[in-house]
Amino acid sequence: MSTEPPAGSTTLAPAVQLSGITKRFPGVVANSDVDITVRAGTVHALVGENGAGKSTLMKILYGMQPPDEGTIAIDGVPTAFASPADAIRAGIGMVHQHFMLADNLTVLENVVLGSEPRKGLGLDFTAARARIREISDAYGLDIEPDRLVDDLGVGERQRVEILKVLYRGARILILDEPTAVLVPQEVDELFGNLRELKAEGLTILFISHKLDEVLSVADDITVIRRGTTVASVSPADVTARKLAELMVGSALPVPELRESTVTATEVLTVTGLTVTSADGRPVLDDISFTIHAGEVLGIAGVEGNGQAELVEALMGIRTPNAGTITLAGRDITRDSTRHRREAGMGYIPEDRHRQGVLLEATLWENRVLGHQTRPPNVRGPLLDRRGAKADTERIVAEYDVRTPSIDVNAAALSGGNQQKLIVGREMSGDPVVLIASHPTRGVDVGAQAAIWDHIRRARADRLAVLLISADLDELIGMSDTLAVILRGRLVAEHDPATVTPEQLGSAMTGAGREEG
Amino acid sequence: MRRTRGVRLAAGLLALGLGLAGCGSKNNDSGSSGGTTTAGSAAAANLKIGLAYDIGGRGDQSFNDSAARGLDKAKSEFGFEVKELEAAAGETEAQKEDRLRQLVEGGYNPVIAVGFAYAESVGKVAGDTPDVQFAIIDDATDGVDVGKNIANLTFAENEGSYLVGAAAALKSKTGNVGFVGGVNTPLIQKFEVGFTMGVKAVKADATVQVKYLTQPPDYTGFNDPAKGETAAKGMFDAGADIVYAAAGGSGNGVFKAAKANTKLGIGVDSDQYNQPALADVKDVIITSMIKKVDVAVYDFISSVKNGKFVAGQKVYDLKAGGVDYATSGGKIDDIKAKLDDYKQKIISGEIKVPEKK
Amino acid sequence: MRSLTPRSVLLGLIAPVGALVFAAAVSAVILLATGHDPFDTVDAMATAAQRPRTLVNSLNTATSYYLSAVAVAIGFRMKLFNIGVDGQYRFAALLAAGLAGAAFMDSLPSFVRVALTILAAMLVGAAWAGLAALLKVTRGVSEVISTIMLNAIATYLVSYLNSPERLAVSTAGSNNIGTPKITEGGRVPGFEIEGSSSKVFGLVFLAVLVGFLYWFVLSRTRFGFELKATGLSESAAVASGVSVKKMVIVSMLLSGAVAGLVGMPELLGSSYSYSLNFPVGVGFIGIAVALLGRNHPIGMAIAALLWGFLFNTANSLDTAGVPREIVDIMQGVIVLSVVVAYELVRRYRVRAEQRAVGHALGRTKTAEEVTA
Repeated sequence: MSTEPPAGSTTLAPAVQLSGITKRFPGVVANSDVDITVRAGTVHALVGENGAGKSTLMKILYGMQPPDEGTIAIDGVPTAFASPADAIRAGIGMVHQHFMLADNLTVLENVVLGSEPRKGLGLDFTAARARIREISDAYGLDIEPDRLVDDLGVGERQRVEILKVLYRGARILILDEPTAVLVPQEVDELFGNLRELKAEGLTILFISHKLDEVLSVADDITVIRRGTTVASVSPADVTARKLAELMVGSALPVPELRESTVTATEVLTVTGLTVTSADGRPVLDDISFTIHAGEVLGIAGVEGNGQAELVEALMGIRTPNAGTITLAGRDITRDSTRHRREAGMGYIPEDRHRQGVLLEATLWENRVLGHQTRPPNVRGPLLDRRGAKADTERIVAEYDVRTPSIDVNAAALSGGNQQKLIVGREMSGDPVVLIASHPTRGVDVGAQAAIWDHIRRARADRLAVLLISADLDELIGMSDTLAVILRGRLVAEHDPATVTPEQLGSAMTGAGREEG
Repeated sequence: MRRTRGVRLAAGLLALGLGLAGCGSKNNDSGSSGGTTTAGSAAAANLKIGLAYDIGGRGDQSFNDSAARGLDKAKSEFGFEVKELEAAAGETEAQKEDRLRQLVEGGYNPVIAVGFAYAESVGKVAGDTPDVQFAIIDDATDGVDVGKNIANLTFAENEGSYLVGAAAALKSKTGNVGFVGGVNTPLIQKFEVGFTMGVKAVKADATVQVKYLTQPPDYTGFNDPAKGETAAKGMFDAGADIVYAAAGGSGNGVFKAAKANTKLGIGVDSDQYNQPALADVKDVIITSMIKKVDVAVYDFISSVKNGKFVAGQKVYDLKAGGVDYATSGGKIDDIKAKLDDYKQKIISGEIKVPEKK
Repeated sequence: MRSLTPRSVLLGLIAPVGALVFAAAVSAVILLATGHDPFDTVDAMATAAQRPRTLVNSLNTATSYYLSAVAVAIGFRMKLFNIGVDGQYRFAALLAAGLAGAAFMDSLPSFVRVALTILAAMLVGAAWAGLAALLKVTRGVSEVISTIMLNAIATYLVSYLNSPERLAVSTAGSNNIGTPKITEGGRVPGFEIEGSSSKVFGLVFLAVLVGFLYWFVLSRTRFGFELKATGLSESAAVASGVSVKKMVIVSMLLSGAVAGLVGMPELLGSSYSYSLNFPVGVGFIGIAVALLGRNHPIGMAIAALLWGFLFNTANSLDTAGVPREIVDIMQGVIVLSVVVAYELVRRYRVRAEQRAVGHALGRTKTAEEVTA
């Protein structure tokens, strides 16, 4: 955690100054009275929970949406952006979380796309190539202009994106959750690049909710909560926990399990599970584990190391290439998703909008989803609308889903309330095993505590749980057993009673392998 | 005026609602409510002529247009009031029948239906309105559209096609000719049968390439010059040097291909050498198989005018001058004697041209 | 389906009614621009609406349109685009007509003959649509492409089979060609309507029955739920245990079976033969009707009646000297504007509901929750 003093920031006007920014959407306020000052030549982190209003704020700064109130000043000059083109002209560049590159073009072609260098009627690729090399060398980006983007790795693609905005003359870079797609080594490389950019006098606005990363790379931190700025701190003055509390606005609920409820009954046994991707690379490599009744098995790992594939293979959404899955003594490797669900597998998906809810269906229809073969939702081939609605009312009450009615569409609910509905649904019908992928991601603190509580109670009722989470505190606090997944393999097992987040973190990046 | 319309609209909407719900109404449009019909025996000074076209209607560059010419001629000569209605794609019998009934209800008599598609509806409506005289072109089916107030005007396209087939064989240097049919229906097959027979009569070992542009119910083959051009080009590439275009408006494409490949073509329905729309390519058109729908329509109208309506089938064959080959452009002057010889033999019955394969 | 409140009914009606008004206005402008009096059109339509024959024909036309729309809508519910209803119904009608007109059928009781004919049509339609489903689940071929191509293949097959050596009979003096006429016992009698020379098809009730079954299956059964879920989010449906491949096959088969019915009212109620005069293009009209009726059983019925009426006013317009093409223009504008209007209303609805929920819960939501 090195925080160098910001270079040459003594007398300069702030690179970006947002004052009193307010943005209303019909019926809601996305940002209210936001003040942020970004010193030139620094890395400034903007942190906040999912849905706190970070993205809206950045869209305003990048000219994608006009603010209703407030002012933007760039290098001390008040400005108004009508479109991203204006922002680009003012020297602002945006690196999106999802890359906007054409795979079948070269780096050079991607970079010049939209601002092609003209010479007479033709295109002047020679000059552009030279300029790209120059930028790449100046900031240590290590990009070869004539390579096909298709051949590049994720980290390289991100550097191409950065190069693209630098090519257009950006002096202020906005990076939206840049590390979400990177493996740890790539994260380190990215941070190296950011420091070089900073050293060259560029200003970086870094959006994240990963606190450790923020603490390691940022010079200043602004915390945003419920659409407004709640604190501006220096990384030297705060801990990750303090920052988290600022983000959620209250003392954090503590995930913990009281006494062990682990029994000897094996519920879910996985042996030698292997999944290969379409290009023949193993994404899951010989995974084996057992979860007993009343046990929570936590899986730690950097995102993209095979967690999604593991969950989908367990649920029967993805066909494994090898290995067996046994549920309560019965081999279910070849069973359909429906059979697995009927056999008592509950599923809280990682991406609730993709796999968890039907946004344009009512809450009670969402209650039926995944349980459409079981009472109280159906009688034979017919839907039992009354039964489903009554049970939805029960879930809404028990799980504190904030909604005026069960007849509204799921899209009308906030993410946290959607998640509570999903948890309530998946806990219905007496599941024997629950596959919970990031069960508390993006939900507010109250809901988080409630969800933990429900998992704890179900565990006491002999539920077996596979818990995947990016929140190490949650993992350590809620698991009876902890395993680490790295590049598709289970590489280490830890005792949650003794392990620290730091140890777990290093195991996740592969650094701790010698010890494990 | 506006007000009464508003009232009628309201009444109409009301009736629509009632009608769809219960279909009860006081109107009576069945039976012989035609009203102003004239007796079939006396000469009429003034007629209201109703004409229902097949799909494509006036302006199709094909046989609807030919019927329109006959109507126009009668109209300008006799000064009769005419009403022309047109069929739409996707129709059932009900819409065709409704079209004829609307003409009858509008007091039009006689009523002319252009095309075999009207066979059933003419039969039905004529049966219900015995005072109205009907003509139908291209159909005479016993038990369907034959009756004492229906004139069935049919053509011996096979005979005319025989002659242009003979002309093609006489003019061909390669002994290889082509037939492009618009749509593969029995009617167009009649052209093909006659043409092939005519070719073989001259040169028994000649090759006849046959291609239909579309299959029913896709009738675009009658009006797709691009398809005609492609088909003809393929035939020329395969050795043909003369192609007979029995394909309505698609014939333009055939002639275009002929011109581009310095080959020859034969027209259909009218004397296409003289059609203004084909002026660019007319020098490749050596002859045309003329089907005189206009004559049939005109004859029919004047027969009604003169009180000489004759029910039943009237075959426009070579003998009656209903079909013929064209000589405009003078490209077949050298073989005219031979063609006329064939013509005489067909008229005398020495040569019999079948209608079907 | 949500509960009916005055507000939801109003929101449901505003799009189609608005689109109709807009289409009428556009048509009026076009008529004026081409030198016609729009009031003549109104007049002609009003006249048509008072003629029982036109109303009966409209209802009969609507019957086919409705069946076609239901066939399309079954696929639409799960975002499956069966563009092949046209080929399916024509092929089904030909083979069913061939069966119904066959001599051996004469000895069977009338009910059995009609039932067999209808069953055959459904089977043929289902089989033809099933080919597209098979291609989709085994080879990943888009059903849009395959059904369009199957339409073309059906055209050739029908043309090949509809010839004297095969299913058709040729009659002396006729230039038409078609299957032998179905004899009296194989027909479905219609209803005489006073003042109309056309009868109302007996199979109008088949369309009503199909509409009811469509509603029941989609909103009251597990299958209908899974169909809807798959349409709303395939990934969520998969995670809930729906086998999308199975859904593709079942819904395509059902869609094809209903498509097979499209030609039955005309075949058994009026033409009694599949000939060159058999109506074409009804499968494509069904797409427009389904779109206009929002896949709703009642909505599609209203849309089918409207389409049927507009189609059957064409002769009256022609008689009144109004270009009949105005009907096509009107239909085109209605479809286009209704699509836009539905989307606008949908967005408004989503936002209004979020606002209502936010209001009811008394909290401020973040933009991400709104835009998500």
